[in-house]
Amino acid sequence: MSTLTAEPPMTSPTANLPAATQVHPTFAGVMRGEWIKLLSLRSTWWALASTAAVITLVALAAAMSLSAMTDDPTLAPGIEQMHGAEVIAGGFHFGMPTIAVLGALLITGEYATGMIRSTFAAVPTRIPVLGAKALTLVVLTAAVTLVSATLSYFVTMPQLSQYDLVPALDDPGTWRVFGGTLYSLIAAALFSLGIGTLLRSTAASVTVALTVLLLLPGTLSFISLDWVETIVSYLPLPASSALLTTGAAGTQGAYLSTQASLIVMAAYAVVPIAVAAVTLHRRDA
Amino acid sequence: MIEAHELTKRYGGKTAVHTLSFTIAPGTVTGFLGPNGAGKSTTMRLIMGLDRPTSGTVTVNGKPYGQHRSPLREVGALLDAKAVHPGRSARSHLRTMAATHNIKTSRVSEVIEMTGLAGAASKRVGGFSLGMSQRLGIAAALLGDPRTLILDEPVNGLDPEGVQWVRQLVRDLAAEGRTVFLSSHLMSEMSQTADQLLVIGRGRIIAAGSVQQVIDSVAGGAVRVRSPHAGELAAALATDGVTITSPEAGMLEVSGTTAEHVGEVAFHHGLLLCELSPRRASLEEAYMNLTQDAVEYRSEPTTARSAPAQKGQNR
Repeated sequence: MSTLTAEPPMTSPTANLPAATQVHPTFAGVMRGEWIKLLSLRSTWWALASTAAVITLVALAAAMSLSAMTDDPTLAPGIEQMHGAEVIAGGFHFGMPTIAVLGALLITGEYATGMIRSTFAAVPTRIPVLGAKALTLVVLTAAVTLVSATLSYFVTMPQLSQYDLVPALDDPGTWRVFGGTLYSLIAAALFSLGIGTLLRSTAASVTVALTVLLLLPGTLSFISLDWVETIVSYLPLPASSALLTTGAAGTQGAYLSTQASLIVMAAYAVVPIAVAAVTLHRRDA
Repeated sequence: MIEAHELTKRYGGKTAVHTLSFTIAPGTVTGFLGPNGAGKSTTMRLIMGLDRPTSGTVTVNGKPYGQHRSPLREVGALLDAKAVHPGRSARSHLRTMAATHNIKTSRVSEVIEMTGLAGAASKRVGGFSLGMSQRLGIAAALLGDPRTLILDEPVNGLDPEGVQWVRQLVRDLAAEGRTVFLSSHLMSEMSQTADQLLVIGRGRIIAAGSVQQVIDSVAGGAVRVRSPHAGELAAALATDGVTITSPEAGMLEVSGTTAEHVGEVAFHHGLLLCELSPRRASLEEAYMNLTQDAVEYRSEPTTARSAPAQKGQNR
């Protein structure tokens, strides 16, 4: 045992701060810290703006393609069954990549820069940080979805009104589609955050998240084995499709029921984060 | 107060820190000295609870860091000046940390002023020089007005004015009764800044104590004598445990005895002395000797390592 001893001077630290009873971590404080982190980065604003822009533009494109559908005799009857809200939410898939990247970057950005050590030095219990990040991400995703849906609603209105498809705001079907969109986007964002916390690397996390969220359903659809089709139906994008329709036309095929969709999407959101929370405490920062 | 007990950390098969036990007392500046890869940063991360020890314990002010109610009030740490998101401004970076502890924004402005960052506080950190980043890191460490400060290579990259400032700052903080623990491999810097030293090599403590104790424990003391009767004096001094070399005619380097004893012997033999000076080893020499041992302990016969070893033997 090597001991370094010295007479400690009797002066106390001249603190110009309130006592420790007032200055200590609280969940509200950690939340505020996460908020400042997010809003003080330009990349956040880019991700949010591009999400809203992409969703709105794709919705507009979907609405404009309605005229092409009416010209095509095989597709024309489909318009009768369509719900305007489905057209408006048509851009949702395309908002997923940016939201997923934002979710992953929320934590991998800290590992990449080393900021995570400052973060965990301030909040050594760590779990509140993940909780605050998740909550911040939910709020942010909700806000950007709301903005995107509003924008999409208004830009598609001229086209939709031609076909009498402007969704009525007192129609439960409209809110079902918008609610399902919001639910699925939030689930995708949280899934990415969980993956990011587990993998820590931005490249690896974004790759995994986007593969699971977007790439796999398309690639696996070329395989027509029964069990592969079953797996595909449980992947986030197909699993969420029941939530993105009014329920009238959307339950055909290998799609899950609404209830199963809600549960599967919740699992995508919760399971990676829960596993990450357990390991977060044990792993070296 | 930092207390480590049998602290060990292994990363895979590599032992970074091996059964470290030490106490860092409040009211002092304690220097943590060691070559690159000796385990300084690992030890600091273990203190901060960022890495979990493989075995052993370390506490700050009586508790493991993570169990304090107000961590930033207990310990302020600068572990890596570049560990800041480059896209964020210095002020935003400090505000994110302050927010977690409900520390007021006025305190953020205060530490920005204290560290001389006022002109750059709203600039993005990505464009900061290493010296500026160090100042930001120190600002972050001071944010909670902590009782204990842990600074990993704080003067690295600072200009002379900045070095002077850090030196004065840590002295002032220690004088206020705080515990200051800072690492460096700038030995000359340590001799001017630190009261106490903890020397680490290959993950083990190889020396500890006050700066002078560490130097003495390693280099002993040599006495330089100049005399027209050098040959006679050498003969008179030659007893067990005394080694005498003659770097030039009329000059002797005597080790293993004191200047008083040399003077006495000269007086008894009636020999004239022109110079009699105890020669203190510098911290730098002590450090080289100490870490040379640490390198030898590792017993890896590589050509790169043999160079400092020879240097050490020449002393």
